[in-house]
Amino acid sequence: MSRIVIWVSLAVAILWSLTTADIGLGKLPGAGVRLADFLGRMLPPDLSIWPEVLNGLAETLRIAILGTLFSVILSSGLAVLASENLMPPAIWRPVRAVLAVIRAIPLILVAMLMVGAVGLGPLPGILAVTFHATGMLAKFYAEAIDNVASAPVAALESAGANTVQRLRWAIWPQMAPVVLRDTVFRFELNLRESLILGIVGAGGIGLYIQTYVRSFQYEKAATVTLAIIVLVLLSELINGALRKRFS
Amino acid sequence: MSATVALSNISHQFDGIAALQDVSLTVKPGEIVVLLGASGAGKSTLLSLLDGRLDEWQGQAEVLGSKLSEGTAPTRQKRTEVGFIFQEFALVDRLSVYQNVMNGRLGHMRVWQSLWGRFDERDHMAVSAALRDTGLADLARRRTDQISGGQRQRVAIARCLAQEPKLILADEPVSNLDPAHAEKILALITGQARKRGIGVIFSSHQPELSQRFADRIVGLRQGEILFDSPAGQITQDHIKQLYYGDTPGGGLRVVS
Repeated sequence: MSRIVIWVSLAVAILWSLTTADIGLGKLPGAGVRLADFLGRMLPPDLSIWPEVLNGLAETLRIAILGTLFSVILSSGLAVLASENLMPPAIWRPVRAVLAVIRAIPLILVAMLMVGAVGLGPLPGILAVTFHATGMLAKFYAEAIDNVASAPVAALESAGANTVQRLRWAIWPQMAPVVLRDTVFRFELNLRESLILGIVGAGGIGLYIQTYVRSFQYEKAATVTLAIIVLVLLSELINGALRKRFS
Repeated sequence: MSATVALSNISHQFDGIAALQDVSLTVKPGEIVVLLGASGAGKSTLLSLLDGRLDEWQGQAEVLGSKLSEGTAPTRQKRTEVGFIFQEFALVDRLSVYQNVMNGRLGHMRVWQSLWGRFDERDHMAVSAALRDTGLADLARRRTDQISGGQRQRVAIARCLAQEPKLILADEPVSNLDPAHAEKILALITGQARKRGIGVIFSSHQPELSQRFADRIVGLRQGEILFDSPAGQITQDHIKQLYYGDTPGGGLRVVS
C-alpha cells in the first residue's frame, strides 16, 4: 500500500470520528470542578473496611491463580494440537481457529455467561478466566513449540535418545523460558481482569467497588482503589523480576 | 575383521536432483576417512545416510555390521554406536556444558530415570572423561550459550565421545572455525578416535587440512565419487579436478 493511501485513510478515519462522535466539548469546562468534588468526597479513605478489602483481594487473587493454573493445564494439551510442527494442517488449523474465537470473546461477556450457568460467586470467575486465558496461552505455547531449533533435537535422536528424552532434554529447555514468561505475563493479565469480575457477580474485589460507588460511599471506594493499586504494582514488580529471571 | 562401513550402489535424489549417484564405499575399522568436495557435492547427504537419518535412497548399506533399511529408523542401541558431530554444533544453549555432554549418554540410559536427571555413576564417569579429554573440565558448570565458538565445538565433540561410539561421523566439523582452531579441533577428533581405536568419517572442503589428518580421502563431486585414495597420494590434479573440473581449461582461475 502506498504511503499516500495510508495517510489519506488515517485522515479520513480521524475526521469521521471527530465529526460523528457527538463529543459535546461544551461539557468540558465544568468537568474539572465536578471531578474535584468527586475526588474530595473520596478523601480521606475509610481504612476501617480493610478486613473486607483484604477478603475481596484474596478472592480476586484466588480467581487469578486458579484460572491461570487451569488454563495452563488446558493450554498444554491444546498447544500440542495447535503446533504446526507436531500436527498436520487438518488438526492445527481448526484448533487455532477455535483459539482465535475464544480470544475474540471479551472476558466480561464470558463471566456473565458463566454467572448465568453456575450462579454467583468465585466459580464463574475462575471458569471465565480459565476460558479466556486458554485462548491466548495455548497459542503462545504452540508458537514456543514451533520455534524450537530442530538441530539439537536431531542431535539427541542421533545419540539414541527416544521421543520422551528428546522432549525433556532438547525441546523443553528451549521452550521453558518462553512458556514461563508467557505464563507469568498471563497471570498478571488475569489478575488485572479479575478485578472487575465482581461487577457482574463473578467474585472478587469488583463487587465492593460497584457496591460502594453505587451507594455513594466514595471514601470506602477510595480504600478499595488504593488496595488495587498496591496489588497491581506488587504483581508488576514480582512478575517483572520473574520474567527477567526466565529470559 | 568386517568393514565399519560397506556401501554399494547408493543413490538418492533431492528435489529431482541426484544428490548421490551409485556410490560404493568401504571403510575399515579404525580408519580415518575424509569426504572431500565442494558445497552440494553430497557429503552431508552421505553422512546422514550413515547416521540412519536419510529418507528414500536406493542401494545396499551396512554400518558396524548392521544393514540399514530405507524407511526404517535404526534402533536406540544402534544409534548409540554411531556418534555424530554436527556442523552447527547442535547444542541446547540454556543447558550447562555438563548436561549437553550428558545428553550424549541418553541412548544408554533407562528412559524414566533420565527424565529426572538421575544419572548413573557410569554416565557421570563417561561425561567427566569426555570433558577432560576435550579440555572442558573447568567449563562444566557454565551455560553453553556463554562460551566461545571453539569451546562450543569442543562440547559437541565431548558429547559425541561421552556416547562411547564405535564410529564417529562429523559434518564439516571445522568449517566455522579459524585455521588455528580448525587444526586443533581436527587434531582432537582424530587423536581421540585413534586413542579409542575407532574410525572417523568427516566431511570437509579444505584439502590441506584433510590430507594432514586423514588416512584416506574420498573426493565427491555432484553426488559421485571422483577418486578414493590414500591421503598421501592426493595431488593438486585431484584437487583441481574435484573443484574446477567443469571450469573450461580445468585449471585454477587466477584473480588479479
